[in-house]
Amino acid sequence: MLAYYFQLGLRSLRRNPALTALMVMAIGFGVAASMITYSVFRAVSGNPIPGKSAQLFTPQIDSWGPQQNLKGEPAEALGYIDAMALMRAHEAKRQTLLYPVQLSVMPGGNRDLPLNANGYAVTADFFTMFEVPFRYGSGWGAQDDDTRASDVVISSELNQKLFAGANSVGRALNLGGHDYRVVGVASHWNPRPRFYDLFTTSGFADEPDIYMVFNRALDLQMRTGGRNSCRGSLAYTTWQGYLQSNCVWITPWVELDSPAEVASYRSFLTHYAADQRLAGRFDWAANVRLRDVMQWLDYEHVVPPESRISLAVALGFFLICLVNTIGLLLAKFMRRAGEIGVRRALGATRGEIYTQYLVEAATVGLAGGVLGLLLTATGVSGVGILFQPEIAKLAQLDFSLVGLTFVVAIVATVLAAFYPAWRAAHVQPAWQLKSS
Amino acid sequence: MNIQIRPILTALRRHKAGTLLIALQIALTLAIVCNALFIIHQRLTNLSVTSGVDEANVFVIANMWGDVGQSTAQVDAQVRADLLALRQLPAALDATPASGYPLRGGGWDNFVTMTPDQTKPTTDAAVYTGDEHFIGTLGLRLVAGRNFHPDEVMVMGTQQAITPSTAIVSKALADRLFPDGNALGKSFYAMGTTPSTIVGIVDPLHRQGVDQWSNGYAGQALIWPLRADDSRGIYYIVRAKPGQLADAMREAPKALYAQSRLRIIDPKDGIQDYATIRHKVYDRDRGLAILMGIISVVLLAITAAGIVGLTSFWVGQRRKQIGVRRALGARQRDILAYFLTENFLISATGVVLGAVLAIAFNLWTVTRFEMDRMSMAYVGAGVLVLLLLGQGATFAPALRASRVSPVEATRSV
Amino acid sequence: MLKMTHLSKVYRTEVVETYALRDFNIDVKEGEFVAVTGPSGSGKTTFLTIAGLLETFSGGEYHLDGIEVSNLNDNARSKIRNEKIGFIFQAFNLIPDLNVFDNIEVPLRYRGMKAAERKQRIMDSLERVGLASRAKHYPAELSGGQQQRVAIARALAGSPRLLLADEPTGNLDTQMARGVLELLEDIHREGATIVMVTHDPELAARAQRNVHIIDGQVVDLSEDPRFHAAHAAVADEAHG
Ligand SMILES: Nc1ncnc2c1ncn2[C@@H]1O[C@H](COP(=O)(O)OP(=O)(O)O)[C@@H](O)[C@H]1O
Ligand SMILES: [Mg+2]
Repeated sequence: MLAYYFQLGLRSLRRNPALTALMVMAIGFGVAASMITYSVFRAVSGNPIPGKSAQLFTPQIDSWGPQQNLKGEPAEALGYIDAMALMRAHEAKRQTLLYPVQLSVMPGGNRDLPLNANGYAVTADFFTMFEVPFRYGSGWGAQDDDTRASDVVISSELNQKLFAGANSVGRALNLGGHDYRVVGVASHWNPRPRFYDLFTTSGFADEPDIYMVFNRALDLQMRTGGRNSCRGSLAYTTWQGYLQSNCVWITPWVELDSPAEVASYRSFLTHYAADQRLAGRFDWAANVRLRDVMQWLDYEHVVPPESRISLAVALGFFLICLVNTIGLLLAKFMRRAGEIGVRRALGATRGEIYTQYLVEAATVGLAGGVLGLLLTATGVSGVGILFQPEIAKLAQLDFSLVGLTFVVAIVATVLAAFYPAWRAAHVQPAWQLKSS
Repeated sequence: MNIQIRPILTALRRHKAGTLLIALQIALTLAIVCNALFIIHQRLTNLSVTSGVDEANVFVIANMWGDVGQSTAQVDAQVRADLLALRQLPAALDATPASGYPLRGGGWDNFVTMTPDQTKPTTDAAVYTGDEHFIGTLGLRLVAGRNFHPDEVMVMGTQQAITPSTAIVSKALADRLFPDGNALGKSFYAMGTTPSTIVGIVDPLHRQGVDQWSNGYAGQALIWPLRADDSRGIYYIVRAKPGQLADAMREAPKALYAQSRLRIIDPKDGIQDYATIRHKVYDRDRGLAILMGIISVVLLAITAAGIVGLTSFWVGQRRKQIGVRRALGARQRDILAYFLTENFLISATGVVLGAVLAIAFNLWTVTRFEMDRMSMAYVGAGVLVLLLLGQGATFAPALRASRVSPVEATRSV
Repeated sequence: MLKMTHLSKVYRTEVVETYALRDFNIDVKEGEFVAVTGPSGSGKTTFLTIAGLLETFSGGEYHLDGIEVSNLNDNARSKIRNEKIGFIFQAFNLIPDLNVFDNIEVPLRYRGMKAAERKQRIMDSLERVGLASRAKHYPAELSGGQQQRVAIARALAGSPRLLLADEPTGNLDTQMARGVLELLEDIHREGATIVMVTHDPELAARAQRNVHIIDGQVVDLSEDPRFHAAHAAVADEAHG
């Protein structure tokens, strides 16, 4: 019977080609606008580390005080003193400190120019906490942190450039004039948004090339390659002076597995801040935060407002397209009241009329879905003119987006058709006889 | 022409659903289009803000050092040599070292206070560093005071926070700090323990960033006489001779590599002219404006087509009725007026509802995204556009209706 | 077959109540051919729509084929319409989008019949009405008489036991009207019960029984003074 309805639907759609085209276009454009903006939104609002996002926390400690902090909120990163104190206290199962470093690979072999290599100074737990996948080797161990080893983990891309993709574990590397040893080659790993460094990045930077030992970076007096935020008067002229200043530039992360651990870490933070007051370093009450990954993404407004506005406007646009479709379907169906009356007189039940018109609408939805898919594909590839390149390239037409486009087009159209079809099904069967 | 409203209303009551749908569509369209127009206008305004830079002739080189372990003295020697080479380029007019440049998309920013121990800052300023060539290279307009003397320019190493005793500020900053307009010779503190005295004022000078948060500090910037000899890298800003931008951009990296090869100038975006810089920094604004533009146009088209479609159907449904009216003496223009009035009544209901929705949507974006309040002019313009759109869309089917022959009255079904 | 007792039908609008039928009694036996006559607005069509389960009624009882129908829900009524009743309308009411074949197929589709059987029945009924060669034509391509024959074929295809016709010849010239009537008589001979509303006294005369409706009630013709006048007029016309 569905095939019969489908056949009838096609016939009816062919009868008013202009009207059909209008409905198909409305659905197509509406669904495409929604899908394009949604594909971007989905990419920027996703959970970058689904398995562990609830176990990873970034501690914040207010070292600036109520006069200078961020409207009551502590700074979004730590200064050297607090960062090292957290590390030494070792109150969490795993913990890491990190900051961006900007390095260069010195010329060698057949390269006569240095090569840019950006990355992070991190501690050993970084790799296990964030589940960094390795192609060769692994991260370094805690003892390498202590011995301030010249170990590095490099990305597959850098490994390709420098070692032609071969297993480079154990090979030497000169970065900015210092020698390092490769201990691991990470497989492609670039969680988006880059939850672990939202202090410097907006969350969508290119994959880092290199990870080096945090303590080694300090020894080399490497200034952060990322953001640095300070308060009050600054007058440091040496590395030590900088470390002791109130500038914040280090992002700490801890892994806490249970609510009990979270509570106990939170109380540790509070006690730490309170102790700093007692020691005379702070002259304000403890003001600390402990946000997990999703809370942190939210707090840092990782989703650009443009993405939300676009999505909202696109959904509004789709809604209007649907209202438009409801009106046109209503007109179309009611114009066939005569035919409906005859069918009812010949024994069609209400349900059968209802189904017939819903199938007709679904056919429009299907056609709208096809058009929508074409427009979405075009739009997703051309989305570069609408969003910044680093965000635009996240929008991808994958299998789930294709499926979603169709499902949304058809479901939305069928929903839009409920009322017109209901009206059609309630045409009185006697209508024909009386009207002649 | 006598237009009677009452019979139209009676007829509309028999098409409740259709009437309601058109009104709803007009309302939603108005809400979206008003806000879209507002966003477009706002973003386009951002796009056209002047930077103060001679954008046609200036370009920026992002130069990173290969050896990050050099001492400040080594870096300074290299920077001086590089600048000398750049200034001698046949196509170049001038060059300056810098730690950032207008429209870079964010960078160094300092709080500004009037006294050294003031905790609540007076305001915020973008910080630029450069030597005595900075103003000339960017092509900034010096409206008061003087340029830096060569001997004023200090060196700042990687680990240093140095506060020069003199500064050139943008007029916007000068006016903010000294509203009486006598800023020249006065001093301020910018996160240093010692003050900086204002020796010159330029106007205008854009900030490095274009973020929403910095809107309150628009155009507030200061320039310190510093060569920021950071061991990681430096920006060189170069001004080409008029019409020789391309030549200068080609010559510059060659000259630098001739000085030393231990540097990285990214082949992709290591050298950018101001057209590129401006294009990149306003990516978001332009993108949103384009998207809103496309959506508005398609939306208006779909709404118009929807009105044409529904009106055509109504006309088709009422052919016989129209024929009877014609037979009873209605003139063509009476029929035309009937349908136009009908659409006007529906559209008027729609735009009233739409105006409320438009304002509500705007208020939502205000609270949610810290956007600005929309001026009522947008709602007014939107109302006008939609009323005209409705009348325009009705016109063709109404004209067809007016041409229905009175003979139709006698035909059955 | 069809039995209505004290049946009434009221149309309520905002302003008035119209009694289209009141205290309406009729009994049509299985296999009868009944012609229904009456002035315009007397309730003939209303009677037919209620008889055909196209409308519900306001009071009284209606037994169709022994079933009291007032308690049936919409789906059950649809099923009865589909299987037991055939309709022939004055305005033919073919579906303009469908060709002759597809039009006749409509009631069979709703019966959920297999394609082969549908085809067999459609061709058989087209054969009956003498339009086998027109299966692929669209209604607009046929004359009025042909259209009405298609409508009859559509009514016949489902082998209904009860055929309801509302002025089936109203839109046809005398020649065509006669052809249609002969077809109905054939069908009647094969056992179907037929109730036909008509204005045409000549056609009415060819039915087995005449029922006259005035003001929503069946009147006994012999007792109504108006009958004699009407009858005289018919006689005049017949002779003139
Ligand atoms: N749907 C309806 N609503 C209101 N009144 C109706 C309706 N259908 C019929 N009537 C009224 O019922 C009466 C009988 O109508 P009808 O059965 O069509 O008469 P006939 O077919 O004998 O000309 C008429 O007075 C008519 O106005
Ligand atoms: Mg009638």
